[in-house]
Amino acid sequence: MVAMRVPSCTGFGIWWQMANGLFSVAGAIAAKDLAVEWRTKTAIVSSLVFAILVLAILYFARDATAVSAFEVAPGVLWVTFTFAGMLGLNRAFLLERENHALDGLRLTSATPSAIFLGKMVGNAVFVGLIELVSLPLFILFYDVPIWNRLPVLMLVVAMATLAFVSVGTLLSAMVVRTRFSEVMLPVLLLPFLVPPIVSAVQVTWRILADRPMAEMTGWLSLLGAFDVVFFMLSIMLFDAIITE
Amino acid sequence: MMPPDAGVVATDVAWRVGYRWILKNISLTVAAGTVTLLVGGNGSGKTSLLRVLAGLARPAKGSVSCRGGVGFVAHHSMLYDSLTGRENLAFITRLDGGHAPARVDALLKQMGLERAADQRLGTYSRGMTQRLAIARALLSDPGVLLLDEPLTGLDEAAARIVVEVIKRRRQDGHAIIVASHQLVEFMECATDIGFLVSGKLAAWEPVNGRDAGAVMHRLRDLVADG
Repeated sequence: MVAMRVPSCTGFGIWWQMANGLFSVAGAIAAKDLAVEWRTKTAIVSSLVFAILVLAILYFARDATAVSAFEVAPGVLWVTFTFAGMLGLNRAFLLERENHALDGLRLTSATPSAIFLGKMVGNAVFVGLIELVSLPLFILFYDVPIWNRLPVLMLVVAMATLAFVSVGTLLSAMVVRTRFSEVMLPVLLLPFLVPPIVSAVQVTWRILADRPMAEMTGWLSLLGAFDVVFFMLSIMLFDAIITE
Repeated sequence: MMPPDAGVVATDVAWRVGYRWILKNISLTVAAGTVTLLVGGNGSGKTSLLRVLAGLARPAKGSVSCRGGVGFVAHHSMLYDSLTGRENLAFITRLDGGHAPARVDALLKQMGLERAADQRLGTYSRGMTQRLAIARALLSDPGVLLLDEPLTGLDEAAARIVVEVIKRRRQDGHAIIVASHQLVEFMECATDIGFLVSGKLAAWEPVNGRDAGAVMHRLRDLVADG
């Protein structure tokens, strides 16, 4: 095996070591969160059942002779992703509330940025899994012709998910010490999610209608800007939120 | 500036929750190779002081510095019920930037948990959980060890293990602060006693051969003096 050698005394070497440490710690935290979820299966089962129920109920709730599936499909998709994902976000820091485990994390040499990144990656994988199961069901229920534009849809899903988990992870850390954290998280999170979700719905609608890419770039840029702003703000504010 | 033999230095530390001051202008120096017993009634600020010294609570005023890292045993285990004892310790090791299975095994053995190492923490008794929490605090071999009621839930044999660990670390030149109501067990290894009364450090005295009864008598006098 050949080990990768990086000069340690140069600026790049220091940067490499810091980045390596950050990603290693973040990876350990994300892996731990997913391992715990895999063993308990509390949030993933409830989120998936919720997602399937929403897709099915909203499909059968409409009058098929008056409203086509195509017209409601973008809204249904993002309502499903948002609310099913939110069930999982709550879990991320409830896990750390058990036995005051967050204090244990803070006592290690892990930086707040690494802790945030780890929790965020764990949440992203969790939400991504829900999306991965929900998306084929959505295509099946609503019979939408997206196979030829699936990569663009995946891009939108990834961008909206990043915005969702960035701000969601930050806010779930904020509300976890409150008595009604499960109620508080949606109340605080949903107003922040309006811009990225509206952008995602707009792009999804255009994808389903097979509109030219040029019509979507504005919304995609907006979504990208939300991603950058939410991610940077969340990582900067996280330390202040977890410190007493 | 931190004195060369100091493990912990706190200068004029004050900490509050809302408008209520929990700790009021506390200054202390705990030398390396000493064991300080922190005594005080309920609500006197023992836990809050340990949390501030551990860096878990940011003081509103003053400063704290600890030499060689901090290990903290709190009221809660700070561990995960769904992970096994070994996985919990391995996870903390990874966060500290290392991978030391031998160290994890040695600590599990030292705490008498080697047979339960691969059981989930959720199946542990209170005493076993407390011993694993102590192992967690020792993982990074910290220069300063802070223990908040470390004997809670421990039987006599387990309590003995903990006291022996404290003695050994003191001999190795580490600074240790123990907040406990169970004074008898710690009198043999304590070197100093800090008396906390209503968030103030009312006195800081060497043990000088006193027994637990004499310490409690002194605490009652300090409380009466206000």
